[in-house]
Amino acid sequence: MKTNTVISLMSLMSIWMWTGEGQIFQPELTSNAFLAKVTSNTVILKQPYCVFNQPCPGCEIWLVAGLCSANGTFDALVNSSTTNILSLSPYPTAFNPSSNNFFLTRVGLLSDFPCNQYPNDRYFVVGADGICSGVNCNGVLPDGSTVCFKYLLIDANRTLINSSNWSGNITLPKLLPLQTIYDGLSARSGAMVVITTILCVAAALLLLLFLIMLCVTCCRPTKKDSKQISVMNSIRIPRYDTHNLKERVHPYDNPAYQSDLKNYSTSSTLPKNGARKL
Amino acid sequence: MGAGALTCLMFVVIALNAIAAAAGLALFAVAIWVAVDGYKLYPISGVSGKDDIFAAAWIAIFTGFAFFLTCIYGIFAALKRSRGFMMVYLIIMFIIFLFECASAITAATNRDYLVGNSNLVKKQMLQYFADSSTQGKQITQTWNRVMEQVECCGADGPSDWIQYNSTFKQMFGSTYIWPLSCCKRLSTFEVEDKEGCMVGKASTIFPKGCFQHIESVLSRYTWAVSWYGFSVLMLVFFTLVIAMIYYMQLE
Repeated sequence: MKTNTVISLMSLMSIWMWTGEGQIFQPELTSNAFLAKVTSNTVILKQPYCVFNQPCPGCEIWLVAGLCSANGTFDALVNSSTTNILSLSPYPTAFNPSSNNFFLTRVGLLSDFPCNQYPNDRYFVVGADGICSGVNCNGVLPDGSTVCFKYLLIDANRTLINSSNWSGNITLPKLLPLQTIYDGLSARSGAMVVITTILCVAAALLLLLFLIMLCVTCCRPTKKDSKQISVMNSIRIPRYDTHNLKERVHPYDNPAYQSDLKNYSTSSTLPKNGARKL
Repeated sequence: MGAGALTCLMFVVIALNAIAAAAGLALFAVAIWVAVDGYKLYPISGVSGKDDIFAAAWIAIFTGFAFFLTCIYGIFAALKRSRGFMMVYLIIMFIIFLFECASAITAATNRDYLVGNSNLVKKQMLQYFADSSTQGKQITQTWNRVMEQVECCGADGPSDWIQYNSTFKQMFGSTYIWPLSCCKRLSTFEVEDKEGCMVGKASTIFPKGCFQHIESVLSRYTWAVSWYGFSVLMLVFFTLVIAMIYYMQLE
């Protein structure tokens, strides 16, 4: 029995010490892969589980958010002044040129963040209230600045009990004006070049062929077989054997010239060239 | 050329004209499809003043129908074996050819300006989304519809809204990092997890950008007018060359 209790006590203590060792003592960025983890004016932090491990009924955890250059200013002010530190630097004027460059905002009750729970997916958005006007509202950070955070343990009387370490520097990206986007022509695609060149060449070729066709058809000298008759020698030879004669009888042929029988009264007697056809 | 060869050439001319008439009618139909803009992305090109893709589609409507009518006339002219008719046909076809060339080249060139990279679309979105002018309302409506239907956010991704200043950020930046259209919704159209969406939890927001969809739609329109117009023009070029040979062989 005794060894059992001793073992359980030892294990409890080791667990407590382990959680004590794993205790983060400063604000940290959330470990979730949120797309808006760090924007130009907001930051998403882990919730302050197990940051302050002391019993403190009615205490609250507050966050100091400001430019990293104001870390020293805040520490000095906290050490020196005993007045209500919560209203040291109201949010609306916090980041004016001659101001303290930090503001305080409430995260939650200490009892909401016990040490035996350690949910890593809980988050706290710094800047969730936007541009607000309360003294301790959770307003946006200056655009593109380098910011640091610190947790404070404040009791019910608004006095500071404990404070964590400062977080590491978190650089917010500067918001780019949309005029910086160059929206001119990026590059000509290959398809456009191909279409343009081939179509221009085709149109020019077509015009050229059209003109060639016009020239060829209108101005070419005719070489075709024409039906024109060149009248060189218009010899008109009457035919005397058209009437009352049979095909075979050619009375005007001199039989003595048998060999020339066919040569005198038919169209074969007429000159071959230059005769006008009747 | 012998009579038989001439008749053969006449049939070739008629066949090519018939095919070109059908192709011209199809061009007419495709160009109507582009002009109707079923994807409703016209404001993206209209607001920036670079809407020549749609202008080219309108030209293609007219030239496509003109090709159809003129090729039918060409069939008639070839059957008539008349030089006069063929000459009229050739001149009209050449004029329509030039207009269709203009349409194809315009569409292809203008597409490069609009969707060569995502800059123009992104800048326009940042400038006009949530703006209260007429163009702003058109752009807002278009982007909301695209983001909800295609399930995307921003031009290249939700980080566009974080990196750049925008009209939306000026107006709603204190409450919303990006528009609610970027968030996943239930079937009742309610946002599934508004808080998670506003911090950018991966399961509640659409992580991809809308530029790919916009680019693919506008490219689809462009290639419909431009490449199909190009192929019709190549067919018409070939037809006109044969028609010119036929013309020369006529008496």
